[in-house]
Amino acid sequence: MCGIVGFFDKTGSGNAPIGKIMLRMLEALCRRGPDSAGVALYGPATNDALVLNVKVGEHGDFREKGLQLAEKIRHFARVHQASVLGEYLRLRLEWDQGVRQLQKQIEALSEGVEVVSLGKQLEIIKQVGSPDALNHTYGIDSFVGHHALGHTRMSTESKVDLSHSQPFWAHGIADLASVHNGHITNYHKLRRQYEQRDIRFYTENDSEIIGVFLADQMEHGMDLKDALKASLRTFDGSYSYLAASANTLAYAKDRFAYKPLVIGETDEFVALATEEVAIRAAFPNETISTREAPANYSHTWSVPQEVAVNY
Amino acid sequence: MKKASIDCRGKTTREINVQIRDFIADHATEIEILSPAARHNLGVATIEPVKMVFDGSVGYFCGGMIDGPEILVRGSAGWGLGETMMGGTIVVEGNAGNGAGAAIRNGTVVVRGHAAARAGISMKGGLLMIGGSVGYMSGFMMQKGTLIVCGDAAEGLADSMYLGTVYIGGKFESLGHDTEVSEPTDEDWKFLRENLSRFELPCDRPFRKIVAGRRLWNFDKKDFDIWKAVL
Amino acid sequence: MESSPVVRPVLRRSSVWREDIIEDIHGKAQLGRYQYRGFSTLRGRPMPSFDDLVFIPASLTRVPLEGYREDCSTRTILGTRFAKKPIELETPIMVTGMSFGALSLNAKVALAKAATAVGTSTSTGDGGMLPEERENSRILIYEVLPSRYGTNVHHLKSANGIELAIGQGAKPGTGGVLLGAKVSDKIAEMRDLPPGVDQRSPCRHPDWMGPDDMVAKIEELREATDWQVPIFVKMGATRVYDDVKLAAKSGADVVVVDGMEGGTGASPDILIDHTGIPTLAAVCEARAALEDIRLYGVVQLIIAGGIRTGADAAKALALGADAVYLGTAALIALNCNRPIYIEDYHKLGTEPHACHHCHTGRCPVGITTQDPELTARLPIDEAAERVTNFFHALTSEIQMLARACGKADVHDLEPEDLRALTLESSMITGVPLVGTRYPFGGGPGWQREETGAPQG
Repeated sequence: MCGIVGFFDKTGSGNAPIGKIMLRMLEALCRRGPDSAGVALYGPATNDALVLNVKVGEHGDFREKGLQLAEKIRHFARVHQASVLGEYLRLRLEWDQGVRQLQKQIEALSEGVEVVSLGKQLEIIKQVGSPDALNHTYGIDSFVGHHALGHTRMSTESKVDLSHSQPFWAHGIADLASVHNGHITNYHKLRRQYEQRDIRFYTENDSEIIGVFLADQMEHGMDLKDALKASLRTFDGSYSYLAASANTLAYAKDRFAYKPLVIGETDEFVALATEEVAIRAAFPNETISTREAPANYSHTWSVPQEVAVNY
Repeated sequence: MKKASIDCRGKTTREINVQIRDFIADHATEIEILSPAARHNLGVATIEPVKMVFDGSVGYFCGGMIDGPEILVRGSAGWGLGETMMGGTIVVEGNAGNGAGAAIRNGTVVVRGHAAARAGISMKGGLLMIGGSVGYMSGFMMQKGTLIVCGDAAEGLADSMYLGTVYIGGKFESLGHDTEVSEPTDEDWKFLRENLSRFELPCDRPFRKIVAGRRLWNFDKKDFDIWKAVL
Repeated sequence: MESSPVVRPVLRRSSVWREDIIEDIHGKAQLGRYQYRGFSTLRGRPMPSFDDLVFIPASLTRVPLEGYREDCSTRTILGTRFAKKPIELETPIMVTGMSFGALSLNAKVALAKAATAVGTSTSTGDGGMLPEERENSRILIYEVLPSRYGTNVHHLKSANGIELAIGQGAKPGTGGVLLGAKVSDKIAEMRDLPPGVDQRSPCRHPDWMGPDDMVAKIEELREATDWQVPIFVKMGATRVYDDVKLAAKSGADVVVVDGMEGGTGASPDILIDHTGIPTLAAVCEARAALEDIRLYGVVQLIIAGGIRTGADAAKALALGADAVYLGTAALIALNCNRPIYIEDYHKLGTEPHACHHCHTGRCPVGITTQDPELTARLPIDEAAERVTNFFHALTSEIQMLARACGKADVHDLEPEDLRALTLESSMITGVPLVGTRYPFGGGPGWQREETGAPQG
């Protein structure tokens, strides 16, 4: 159980202080989710390079491990930039084959390596601990961009560690990420169906199934909007979740309205949060009217894409 | 007439509530609470007839377990507005989250905007009026009391009620189990007009009345078509 | 062979198609729905229980305390985490929540008087606070349940503790039931229901869902009571390890876990016997959960569900509980299943020592009924005295076991004072199997985060 937040700049300027906004919103929801904090930040897209955040391992000298990893990756991808911050190796590289192929090759390089996010604009940064600690390590408050998702976690049934924290990148689709509040009760059944098709899961966290589902639907030709609608018919249990792609922010809510989701919208932006207190914390001086999202419903906000994205 | 004011900025919920209590002990009759910023549990369990004006949005359980106060919220409210209240009046100018008026035993709750899912759930008395629309499963298991919805309702309206009454001015996506829909009587119209006009809510909607069909009050295996959905 | 005398054949009975199963099917064929009943689990198969453990008292390695002369403290304090006024009890045995509605007025008042005499608490149960219970019970815990029947802020403010009930051991995941025969005029008025309806309460709270929302709900109860009294969170024993962590993280002072042996006034039969895990396993999971988030000893743990004797209570304490709730045992002390008014047991189709017909409202001894004539069979003061005697007996049993183990305080009983008689109980509790020094299978078997043990 958790707190989820989202922000979308309707003006499309690419200059919104999304880092600061996410931090203020997440701090307000800490009590709902004291275990971990994470953000999915969508910055401006520059050229065709992909940005990857790679978890380098469970323990040890992350800096050393990260740099070694970067060296190995240079053998099969054109790496423009590599740096280690906290537990992550951040890469900017060029790759013209499939996303899943790149991920597989990187993760095969060493035990405990996981591609936490991949995209032209998406960067996921998450860890065990508070939003404040997240900012302290990763300097989130200086990020600017288009839109963002955030999550504070209170673990229900699975482990408390970086990999099990959210947001989750929908492995296989660049720039697709999700945050979830609730508990999907047919997760095990759905997971077994996907595993029969050799789709890999990285955690035992039920929230992971959302990205897997959306990615699978989209790889079979659906757009995000329809994939969200399909999820309402597929997932059982409680969920309010947000999903985002390079130019879209979306939400979906279960049919029994189990988990809260408040929407605050102006002409300039949309802010979504599990509790209104997060919206007020980030925008104390704005006159925003807020409402609860309706049950059994999904909705998307988009701006025209800046850069054509080829998956 | 003694007024007091609290600025919530930089204060915890506890500090604000203690301040409210101190003002009441000091015989304040009206307290204005500025910048509540959607905090939860503001003014809960207040049992004195004081007026509290929240200049902004409130979080969960605002007016929860009160018996006597008059509360005005100049913004929106979160979940459980007025839950289990025993008396008093709450008016929210914006929208309300899930469970508005949940389990209230008496008193009046008014939401001028929209309420979300399960408005009026388990009401045991009192009056809940919504100027806009209500969400999924509103009026669920109402034992007594009245829910007036000026706008529309989502699925599952007035499910499994005992002696609650729902008046709906707009459309409903679907009814709950065991309902009976009828036209309001002259008495009903009088009741509607009196209460709606008291709070300047629209009286001119084509209200319909919904009460329980009473088929779910005692099990009878001949009614299994309806029981199988609820057992 | 043809002319031999008739010999009665040996009857071969199926262990699958048992008599009670056959009768159950016949019953459903008439009824058209599941059957309701009261009392505790009636499972035929033995389950892991406290009976699978024994104490290993002091002999040479430790010194026992002299009974009667050397004090063994039974003082129990609950709610030290956040409450200004924790609850102080003279014994670790408490009376669990049983509603006025499920029980008669006389039963409720007798339990209240007994609890006060013994220095312990009672609980309102589902349905609100009876003025007579508040008058007679020195320490009264106020239950806030999904139904919110009779919930009254003034009563709440007068309570010594608030218990936010999520579920109970007999029927976790479902709501309360009171069949029409017991919804008398008085009960109906207290619960705001039409008299005579088959009351089915909701299974969820109306105004919050999930442990993340519960953070705000617990805060609300604290604000309502000015942070004075402890807030308990009560759950049926299902995913105990996860649930206890969540309840503690959400701000509870005390966590209550009710095992599958927990009793009920009325519940679908199938729920009582096929949901929830045994109390023995529940207490071990609960303790491990609190230890893993470093709140063991900060958040207190109350265990319930089939506590019958001082041995059960002492074992629960040794395994990690701070106190135990009694329900069925307290009712039996009142007179439940006593061999008196035997014809009335027969009228219900049962007999003393086998009666589980609380749901009918025709309790032959006046405990689980609203009928005035039946209620009169339970004069309050005599009944209170019986329960007082029983609680004193249990308390001295716990003390005796603790003294024998060399403890001057019953809360100093530890898992190391126990041995397991079976492989299963050793695995479940982590207590060594008798004759060995090792727990069989390295139990407890649920996921322990630090050790990275296999998922439970």
